[in-house]
Amino acid sequence: MDYPLLLGIFPQVFLDGIILGFMYALIALGYTMVYGVLEFINFAHSEIFIVGAFVGVELLLGLKSVGLLDGLPWPLVLFLTLVAGMAASGLLAVTVERVAYRPLRNAPRLIPLISAIGISFFLQDLIRLFESLWRNAFNLVYPTIDVLNLRFELTETIDVSVKSLVVIVAALLMLWALHVIVNRTTIGTAIRAVAEDQAAASLMGINVNRIISLTFLIGGAMGGAAGVLFGVQYGLINPYTGFIPGLKAFTAAVLGGIGNIPGAMLGGLVLGLLEAFAASYLSLLTGGAFGAEYKDIFAFSVLIVILIFRPKGLLGEIVRERA
Amino acid sequence: MAALFDARGVTKRFGGLTALQAVDFALESGIASIIGPNGAGKTTLFNIFTGLYPADEGSVTFRGRALFGLRPDQITALGICRTFQNIRLFANMTVIENVLVGMNSRIALGLWDVLSHGPRFARTEADLSTRAVALLDRVGLQANANDVARNLPYGDQRRLELARALASEPALLLLDEPTAGMTRTEAGALMRLLRELVVDLGLAIILIEHNMRVVMEVSDRVTVLDHGEKIAEGPPREVQSDARVIEAYLGTRGSAPQRARRA
Amino acid sequence: MSLYSVLATAAVALSSLAVATAPRSVLAFLAFQGALLFVYLARIPTWLRVGLLGVALLLLMPLIGAFNGYYLEVATQVGIFAALALGLNIVVGLAGLLDLGYVAFFAVGAYSWAIFGSPHANVIFGGGFPLAGVWFYAFLFVGLFVAAITGILLGLPVLRLHGDYLAIVTLGFGEVIRVLANNLDKPINLTNGPKGITPISRPPAPLGLPYGEYFYFLVLLIVVVVVLVNRRLEDSHIGRAWEAIREDELAARAMGVPLVRMKLLAFACGASFAGIMGVLFSAKQVFINPESFTFLESIGVLAMVILGGMGSIPGAVLGATVVTVLNLQVLKGLSLWLNELKNAGVTVLGYSLADLPTQFEPAKYERMIFGVILVLMMIFRPQGILPARRRQRELAHLER
Repeated sequence: MDYPLLLGIFPQVFLDGIILGFMYALIALGYTMVYGVLEFINFAHSEIFIVGAFVGVELLLGLKSVGLLDGLPWPLVLFLTLVAGMAASGLLAVTVERVAYRPLRNAPRLIPLISAIGISFFLQDLIRLFESLWRNAFNLVYPTIDVLNLRFELTETIDVSVKSLVVIVAALLMLWALHVIVNRTTIGTAIRAVAEDQAAASLMGINVNRIISLTFLIGGAMGGAAGVLFGVQYGLINPYTGFIPGLKAFTAAVLGGIGNIPGAMLGGLVLGLLEAFAASYLSLLTGGAFGAEYKDIFAFSVLIVILIFRPKGLLGEIVRERA
Repeated sequence: MAALFDARGVTKRFGGLTALQAVDFALESGIASIIGPNGAGKTTLFNIFTGLYPADEGSVTFRGRALFGLRPDQITALGICRTFQNIRLFANMTVIENVLVGMNSRIALGLWDVLSHGPRFARTEADLSTRAVALLDRVGLQANANDVARNLPYGDQRRLELARALASEPALLLLDEPTAGMTRTEAGALMRLLRELVVDLGLAIILIEHNMRVVMEVSDRVTVLDHGEKIAEGPPREVQSDARVIEAYLGTRGSAPQRARRA
Repeated sequence: MSLYSVLATAAVALSSLAVATAPRSVLAFLAFQGALLFVYLARIPTWLRVGLLGVALLLLMPLIGAFNGYYLEVATQVGIFAALALGLNIVVGLAGLLDLGYVAFFAVGAYSWAIFGSPHANVIFGGGFPLAGVWFYAFLFVGLFVAAITGILLGLPVLRLHGDYLAIVTLGFGEVIRVLANNLDKPINLTNGPKGITPISRPPAPLGLPYGEYFYFLVLLIVVVVVLVNRRLEDSHIGRAWEAIREDELAARAMGVPLVRMKLLAFACGASFAGIMGVLFSAKQVFINPESFTFLESIGVLAMVILGGMGSIPGAVLGATVVTVLNLQVLKGLSLWLNELKNAGVTVLGYSLADLPTQFEPAKYERMIFGVILVLMMIFRPQGILPARRRQRELAHLER
């Protein structure tokens, strides 16, 4: 076994894992916040995420076509793209809740879940339909911004690109902003109150429907931001791209303890790192018998093992069943 | 000789909260009531007796057999069945189907009997029907056999829960507030029915009840729980005059006890 | 004869005539299917209903197949999906366990025959393969058992999970099976990876039947058996226990329903139907690869169950028919029609259809169809088109 190689790639893999982890963390927040207030898996969140990516790419392509992509300073371009993606995904999430979940709020638990699966599939093809008619293509590539592709060589084997740094900084800012909103504002207090006890919250004069909409807005916006960052980082997107990262982000949310916001961040990072290491080392450690293609299975296995042995996740509370 | 049902030192904690503290409870026959203010641990006790919760300490035996470690369906098969405080019928199934589910642990058919539809299957199903109708007759629901359970009035739903529990042919029946939501007349009729069951079938019954009139009338013995501890036990009259009970639960002597809020 | 009897008979006769005269018209074939639904729903004597359905399915359908072989293929596909929907119906509809990876059992069945019924097994075991075509019949049962065991193996670890968690884990399991099928061409080549396995042996068709007709009849036979099994399970203590679990798991346990055993039985029964159809599917297609066993397929089958009505046997069959026909005929028909219009240079409201983007193909939008079905049904009619009717138990002999 090539130990120097295994050690040598370690920092690079670690860095890749961190980036992936922040991506998962941002998406996982949407799952976990909605689960916190409604105890419901918003299956369509993966599409809300990828819509952010598509709005981002459309904006960038639009700027490019009028020659502004290189004309404007890149931080401004990036900021605008992020805001557009967040707004679109946030509003979409609110709309989806109004149309497909709210009428089902008192139905048995499987009913809204099935509705959410339906929305997920519907949105995938809706994006495809739109892009097919608009661009006659639905596999889109993020236009390159030269600065973002600059790479610093830290050592001989590790380098880091500007966009990776941008992704990490943006994700950290986002998470910090969310932390402030949830813990330091009245809106955040109201969200936590609704998550704790809807009936009591409404007795305290909180408009529960509005808070639920707000939760979808914030969770959706985080997903949209993740979508834009995903596009910037990995480049290629299509309407079906969101599904697997969505599922993994859900895994991250469960890993951290579903309903728990710091848990989603922790779960995202842990899963991102695990996956990055699995993808790089599995093939090396098994002599090529099993390779990176098993990284998805790896994530699902993590999910299954956690749900079976520690369903409350790393930071979650035990959910009791009442007799 | 061992009692029919014997629970010793049952203790249950939820996190830091002690829901039950070393509770002893034994029953040979007849009707025993468990009373106590809200949150005293009565329903938790039932959940432990029927295997829905594991206890932290203590032991429970039924006809000399230890129950801890058995699954709820195994306990039902041994002859203990229950009703629920907040009515848990199979809402979208018919009345008779609810009762038939209760018979599940008494059905000895295998997968092959079901798929082949042999004579054994037909005989068993016909027999189940007869028994189910007889049970519905007993609780006064024979006319509703094919109605969907969800559509029954509240009082009928409670009676159906009783019939469903009886369908498992229990020797010990645990009833969690069976008269809640019933009118005085309905409650009276139900109590007469319980007495009948004790006399006719030799059933032993443990009753959780908030309606003191019912408790005093029907019980052979009353156990009082408060904050997870047994504070008194004995014949209804004695318990009623127990100083600790009055202090903890009944308020002043002679006045009607406050109906505790049901969670 | 009542008016309905006349109408039903006429509907079947006329619609088959329409298919015979216009064998390429999708509408005619849809009319034929509509006639069958009418026969099923109309208030006519049972003997007439059974007679008409028997004639239509055993005689008319194969005849239609002689005019247009594609329709027989559609009917066969409907049958395959009907069996899958009936299997999933047990798990989701009766026992209330949302299984999002159901197609995995179909894959297990398909691969079990694909590997041994093709030369591919030689790669693993040396010589001696493919097995002779008659082994196919034995493998129908092998597929059934392997799928049932897979169902139990999946069920065991996830039984403690409730509702939505169970759904996600079964989804993950379905993906695991697909990824395995995609990648197990190394270190040992079990599945031949994305390239798939071919040629898969077919059994010798009896009476010199063409394979189209042969597979149609075989599928029909299996569907009839599956319906029968489904009905008997439903009308027994097993079916009642499943429904009790769906209604209130905790109360079911307290009433003496052995939860673990009943849930495993539900998984195993549902899986076994998919397994047997998987074997048949691989022989019919001659070629299989992991593409046939994606999450999309699982959701498609779920959409069939939901559309027809959870827990409803006729509903599952109807759902399978509608969704399959939508996919195979309506969407594809729309694509072809649009292409014809494009090529003819038709303009609508001043917009030339020739300018339509080439990427816009209605045939590719099955996800949208599934999605719309799921959402609309959940909001407006969660009980489905043909809801499960509460069975009225015969108590006549007991009444005094």
